[in-house]
Amino acid sequence: MAVFKTGFKYCWCSPISVTILVGFPILIIFVLGSALASFISPDYDFESLPVSASVETGGSLEIFLQSSEISQFLDVTFTTRENAEELLESGEAFIAVIEENGSVAVIRPPGGGMNSLIPISIIDSYMQIGAAMTAVATGGDILESAQLIQAEISVIQAPLGNRVQSSFDYYAVTMLVMILMFAGINGIELFKKSMFSETGARALVTPVSKPALVGGLLAASTVTSYLQGMVTFVFTRVVYGVYWGENIPLVLLTLFGVTLFSQAFGIFIILLFKNPNLAMAVMQSGIWVMTFVSGGYSKVDFGAADAIFRFSPNSLAHTVIFGSAFGGNHDRMMFDLSLLFIYGAVLFILAFLLGKRRLTS
Amino acid sequence: MILTMTGTVKRYRALIALDHLTLNVHKGETLGLLGPNGAGKTTAIRVLTGLTGADAGKITLFGKELRGKANSADIRRRIGLVPQDLALYETLSARDNLEYFGKLYGVYGAELKKRADEALEILGLTDVAKKTPKKFSGGMKRRLNIGCAIIHKPELLILDEPTVGIDPQSRNHILGFVSEISRLGTTVIYTSHYMEEVERVCSRVCIMDTGRVIADGSVDEIAKAAIFEEAITLEIKEPTSALSESIKKIQGVSRCDIENRTVTIVSAADSGNLARIIEVAAPYVILGISAKRATLEDAFLALTGKTLRDGGEAS
Ligand SMILES: Nc1ncnc2c1ncn2[C@@H]1O[C@H](COP(=O)(O)OP(=O)(O)O)[C@@H](O)[C@H]1O
Ligand SMILES: [Mg+2]
Repeated sequence: MAVFKTGFKYCWCSPISVTILVGFPILIIFVLGSALASFISPDYDFESLPVSASVETGGSLEIFLQSSEISQFLDVTFTTRENAEELLESGEAFIAVIEENGSVAVIRPPGGGMNSLIPISIIDSYMQIGAAMTAVATGGDILESAQLIQAEISVIQAPLGNRVQSSFDYYAVTMLVMILMFAGINGIELFKKSMFSETGARALVTPVSKPALVGGLLAASTVTSYLQGMVTFVFTRVVYGVYWGENIPLVLLTLFGVTLFSQAFGIFIILLFKNPNLAMAVMQSGIWVMTFVSGGYSKVDFGAADAIFRFSPNSLAHTVIFGSAFGGNHDRMMFDLSLLFIYGAVLFILAFLLGKRRLTS
Repeated sequence: MILTMTGTVKRYRALIALDHLTLNVHKGETLGLLGPNGAGKTTAIRVLTGLTGADAGKITLFGKELRGKANSADIRRRIGLVPQDLALYETLSARDNLEYFGKLYGVYGAELKKRADEALEILGLTDVAKKTPKKFSGGMKRRLNIGCAIIHKPELLILDEPTVGIDPQSRNHILGFVSEISRLGTTVIYTSHYMEEVERVCSRVCIMDTGRVIADGSVDEIAKAAIFEEAITLEIKEPTSALSESIKKIQGVSRCDIENRTVTIVSAADSGNLARIIEVAAPYVILGISAKRATLEDAFLALTGKTLRDGGEAS
């Protein structure tokens, strides 16, 4: 308990941990969020996102997609339904828009690539407008009409709600996940100080047993990291208005899973290498790789290897959080969440076994 | 006997850090462990506190043999260790540091608070109890470093070079503290490469070099045993070579050199030659006399061929 409290204080007061784990993410979410916001603002000339569409010729959706405002964002290929789906599958389109018998469906690629978020939100805005127009035309209720139309979309993709997607929504999630991964640094720093230094030597000559010491330190770094993540979480919600979905407990649980994983990872590698500096380097590069392949910064086309990267811990967390916010497949979310906790548990067990061997030899 | 180390060997690959080290510590004494850098002082401490395993030998602490690597919790509670390097949480207050290590030693609640107050008081840190060591001077950090090892009132306190690189005032404070705690009955192992410190606070000295004890005894005993010669310097108005010849005839004198007015004589220690030399030199005008008595410093030099300066590098 004493170990826990002191470790907690140490982590929490550590200037590196405060700047890296709280200040930095808040800043970076702002910078990247703003950058992307300007990216999709109309006066910015940017590469439009590929979309395949099978729509009624001359219909309002076609007119909407062909309008000059929309064509700035979306590069729409009008084609047959089969071809539209093929383009989606081959990755040449981020989403496929299918209009049939007056109802509109948006198809995301399997696994719900993050690139589909912006095109979906644009189509969604069309549905909102459509709902409004229908309501005006029929003298009905706008909301009711909107729900009517969105019910059609939900056949394939759950509704996005009435909310307009913001780039902050995307970056806040990927950043917070990444930052919680980096919080493994807390664990490494604390273990370095409290077990692998003179201060550690001093702790090791006290009557406290090693498991108690390790356990206390672990709990301290996990709780600190989680709380630091929560500061960022609350900040993005309140100040940036980031949408984390309706199921906040699920999101918090997922973030906790990420924290556990990163602490286990950090402690595993410090015990593996017995060299805090080397562990730190491995930690940092490891996190960048995991973040990168899971599309934290950019979605890279890894082709067949994509399947492996889907199971990177960051990616698992993204699936659950985005899924929870924007209506993902429930089973898959639960599977991914469990997998995240299993990763953490396995690393913990390995770290524990290593620790038993390393610290008693 | 609180500690016995017999034939302790510790190797770091090809390097032999402890070479069949034998060391005994009696209850209540203050043992000075003196040796240049790399002599193996810190290694000896790491082995006996269970931080590193020895490759051979037998160690007994408080009557219990140290088996495997670590001491039992019961033994550990009776020992206080002040590591050679500062071992503090720089970002936590002085009091938090003291209380953390106090708790690790199983001291809690009001008792812990009382002992922290006492430690701050005795080490002169009461005014800065709430400050973090980051803002401390070197001497204050050293004192807090000691504080963290005494909060549980150990029976055996081990200080590994506790005064390295600090101001004279803090050093005095620390030496005074060691004398005081020793007077109150704590057994102390004090490692240092400062002669005058060991001479001042220790009742017994072990000189270590290359992983073994090369001299063991009271400060005086060691000085005497090690020093076979002493230097006598005479300042004479007009020395002649005849004087030099007469002095050289005195038994025990091995050398007599004249340089301008200075006559340097090397003579066997404790031979009583000083009086005879003065007798021989009486007809001359003696301006000054100095005789250098053997000190621990000389003993060290004679035993190891190394001088003990700050850093203790062999010269
Ligand atoms: N962890 C280690 N690995 C390799 N060599 C070491 C290690 N610790 C100490 N040594 C070596 O053992 C010898 C004794 O060192 P040490 O006990 O620190 O001496 P002292 O404390 O008397 O200055 C030195 O030559 C030192 O280089
Ligand atoms: Mg040393």
